[in-house]
Amino acid sequence: MRRFSIIVVVAFLLSLFCSGTLLAQDTLKLSIPLPLTGTQAKFGEMEKRSYEIAAEEINAKGGIKGKKVVLDFEDSQGKPEISRSIAEKLIDVKKQPVIFGDYSSSCSKAIAAVADERKVPYLVVTGAADDITQQNYKYVFRMNPPNALYAIGLISFLKEVVKPKTIVILYESSDFGTSGAKDMAMHAEKMGMKVLVYEKYEKGAVDFKPILSKVKAAKPDVIYMVSYVMDAALLMRQIKELRIDSKLFAGGAAGFALPEFVVNAKDASEYVVTATLWSPQVKYKGAKEYADKYKKLFKDYPSYHGAEAYSALYIIKDVLERAKSLNPEDIRVAMKATKMETAFGP
Amino acid sequence: MKRFLPLIILALLAILPLIGLSTYMMHIVILVIMWSVIGMAWNLLGGYCGQVSFGHAAYFGAGAYTAGILYFKLGLSPWWGLPLTIIVVTVVSLFIGFLCLRLRGPFFALATLAMGEVFRVTSENLVDFTGGDLGILIQERTWVEKIWYYYIILFIAAGTFFLIKKVIESKLGYYFVAIREDQDAAESLGINTTLYKTIALCLSGILTGFAGAFYTNYMGYIDPKVVFALHDISIVTIMVVMVGGVATYWGPVIGAIIMVFLAEIIRSIPWLGVAHHTFFGILLIVIIIFLSNGIAGDFPKIKRLFRIRGTS
Amino acid sequence: MSVQIEVFLQTLIAGLLLGGLYALIGLGMTIIMGVMKIINLAHGELMMVAMYIAYWVFVLFHIDPYLSVFISMPLLFFLGVGLQKFLINPVLKVESILPENQVILTVGIGMVLSNLATIFFTSDYRSTPVDYATKAWYLTDYWKAAPFELSLSFSWTVSFLFAVIITVLLWFFLTKTDMGKSIRATAQDLDAALLMGVNVKKMRVITFGIGASLVGAAGSLFIPIYYLYPALGGQFTLIAFVITILGGLGSTVGAIIGGLILGVFEAMTATYLGMGWAPVGRFLIFVAALIFLPGGVASLLRRKRFGK
Repeated sequence: MRRFSIIVVVAFLLSLFCSGTLLAQDTLKLSIPLPLTGTQAKFGEMEKRSYEIAAEEINAKGGIKGKKVVLDFEDSQGKPEISRSIAEKLIDVKKQPVIFGDYSSSCSKAIAAVADERKVPYLVVTGAADDITQQNYKYVFRMNPPNALYAIGLISFLKEVVKPKTIVILYESSDFGTSGAKDMAMHAEKMGMKVLVYEKYEKGAVDFKPILSKVKAAKPDVIYMVSYVMDAALLMRQIKELRIDSKLFAGGAAGFALPEFVVNAKDASEYVVTATLWSPQVKYKGAKEYADKYKKLFKDYPSYHGAEAYSALYIIKDVLERAKSLNPEDIRVAMKATKMETAFGP
Repeated sequence: MKRFLPLIILALLAILPLIGLSTYMMHIVILVIMWSVIGMAWNLLGGYCGQVSFGHAAYFGAGAYTAGILYFKLGLSPWWGLPLTIIVVTVVSLFIGFLCLRLRGPFFALATLAMGEVFRVTSENLVDFTGGDLGILIQERTWVEKIWYYYIILFIAAGTFFLIKKVIESKLGYYFVAIREDQDAAESLGINTTLYKTIALCLSGILTGFAGAFYTNYMGYIDPKVVFALHDISIVTIMVVMVGGVATYWGPVIGAIIMVFLAEIIRSIPWLGVAHHTFFGILLIVIIIFLSNGIAGDFPKIKRLFRIRGTS
Repeated sequence: MSVQIEVFLQTLIAGLLLGGLYALIGLGMTIIMGVMKIINLAHGELMMVAMYIAYWVFVLFHIDPYLSVFISMPLLFFLGVGLQKFLINPVLKVESILPENQVILTVGIGMVLSNLATIFFTSDYRSTPVDYATKAWYLTDYWKAAPFELSLSFSWTVSFLFAVIITVLLWFFLTKTDMGKSIRATAQDLDAALLMGVNVKKMRVITFGIGASLVGAAGSLFIPIYYLYPALGGQFTLIAFVITILGGLGSTVGAIIGGLILGVFEAMTATYLGMGWAPVGRFLIFVAALIFLPGGVASLLRRKRFGK
């Protein structure tokens, strides 16, 4: 009796383990790794919703090659080992011919390594650190413009409009923040601006006033910050409290572009420009419909992370339709030739 | 029979990859073995010697970065990190031991916790040396197939297992347990507690460092937030041991199976979705309430439970 | 020169205000750890729960976050009592090889709490858009000829004052009431307290409740100046540990002094060494306290009083 019950339990667990592998004929099941719990869950959730919106639209128009798209989300918890587990599972157990998704750079790197070794194309959706595609990976593609572009966009604006002489750069301690700040410092120096303070902070810090009072004493023309949402809001709020007046507060994409920023920073967020990759007002085809739909469903405008996810699925659709067959090699060829305009942009 | 049990299990594990597991399963099994190594190492210090460390990420990260920096700065194969870890981690352990071992109980626990964090923030800030937050990415990993990684980590695990068994069954082991049970009494009997605690700490640190160096080779990417993580490394280590069974040979192995394999299964249950964390948390709470010495530690209790069920 | 002074004074103000809030987070921990020797890794998660209470009370009933202290404190008290009674006590009762096995329990509780918050409230970042968020007092507004400019944030100051009031009340409770004295007796010597007829079990339950309600108050005071998401607990648990050790186990006065020291020290490292190093400063002071002053600030105070 006892042995029997153990067998039952084991069988149950095994069936749970394998249940993902059953594939019906007329559906195309795609699994996406995303951080749905932990500190990055916010972005994971936003991307998840955006994928769902895209999938619904695609299905309404007949799916990919006549097959209905069924999405399945795997929680990577923002841990590289787990992202890798998921990638191995997708390649090996589910035989998925193409992988896309995940949020943080470290997770994307873990997946990229596996995908390249196993010769399965991987589309990096939001891992923004630059070195990921500069590694001669043959099977890794990205749709997210490298981090350096954030800085370039702003620089051209600064050159033409503000003409500052001095700049202060603050960035968060992550690979995204570090590489963003490095690029900005490089460009600023090229333009003849003097970098007065170049400093990083621990993500999630409560009090920025010590560092800000130092910034205030330096009297810069421009303050450039590479931060995520709430750090950005706190920074702006405390800048206002300290009455720092620079000509311009510039944000490097990530946090300053999120819709919450405006709500949370309250009246502090005036005179702020950001280099963002995308906003609901851009004129790419489909951008507005997507933003409205998202807003209607979740009472909130998405940021570019969502738009990227939304577009990623369209890219995958496009690639799969052009690929000669559903095997990884053909998909890679098709992906390499990809050039399309989505709601996110070209 | 019982004497040969470890050898039998080792033999079974050695032929495991030959039956053709998918690479996904291999990955999970490798992670389980890696975590058992860390667990066994922690168990030597925490379980037998009674010094509960909350900062094993310091040794893990030191090992991982030894391998990583060899590649990053000197262009050597990160596998050289494995032997070099012994030196680096010994230095790290002596440093931490010197600072923390004079403290007892919760104070020791908290001091090691702080040391782990100090190491993380330091490696984040020493950008020129460690690459800072950008981490270290090793592009050419040695093998594509998992089987070699599997045998290497299995070898390390087997070595760790027999080493710890040897140590515990020697005089040293009795000293350790004496220190755990009553440090003052041990000292009054003429045991140099500081010396033996330092030995336990160094051994434990080195073994954890091996796991760290292996991690760098296997995953090919490290950054300070990953390898010096307080929650994902230090605390998971403690849970591996405590859930499995404190001061038992097999406890860490069982704990690693639960913390990695079972966690992965629970994570994969489709209808649980995000709630898998809650589910797993409740599982941990239940285990610790009913089996306060862990599964291997309270094995007799489980046996009794089943026997009662079986007869009635 | 005046710029240097301004930077220094502004840093000092920031450090002191931050320290007061840190102290409040540390208070709950110091009480719990002092009485039960429990390393409560779910401390930050309890604060997260309190912040959600304050948030929802604000959104649904438009009650100011500062007033919600009076709602979140009792609610957290009952949550703490429940946790202690049904989860922690059963584990403490059993003899096990390492008493630290309750760590798993508190980690598990923390996991469940933060995950439940993710499920019910999603992981969106939230904050209460109060209209005094960026209000501040400026030195030049009151003294026109001031050689430098200093500012004092409204919400930070209010939070700081609340923290001080709560600490004073707690100190009175612990030193002047019977129940407070029993709690302290339990902390000092469990067996002796038992012999003296203190209901130790009940004291433990109440202590955990008080500890939870203190961190609950901290949550309510934090939400006007900070923000909220389900995974925020971890970093505050760490801060609470540092303050507990710095101030001395179970000492209220120690906790507030420890909090202030930590706040100022952190602010100074941030200004003069770089903000990336501030956490290193935090933990170095922590280790230094453990080694050179194992009893924390409280032991210094005691030495002064009974030294002669």
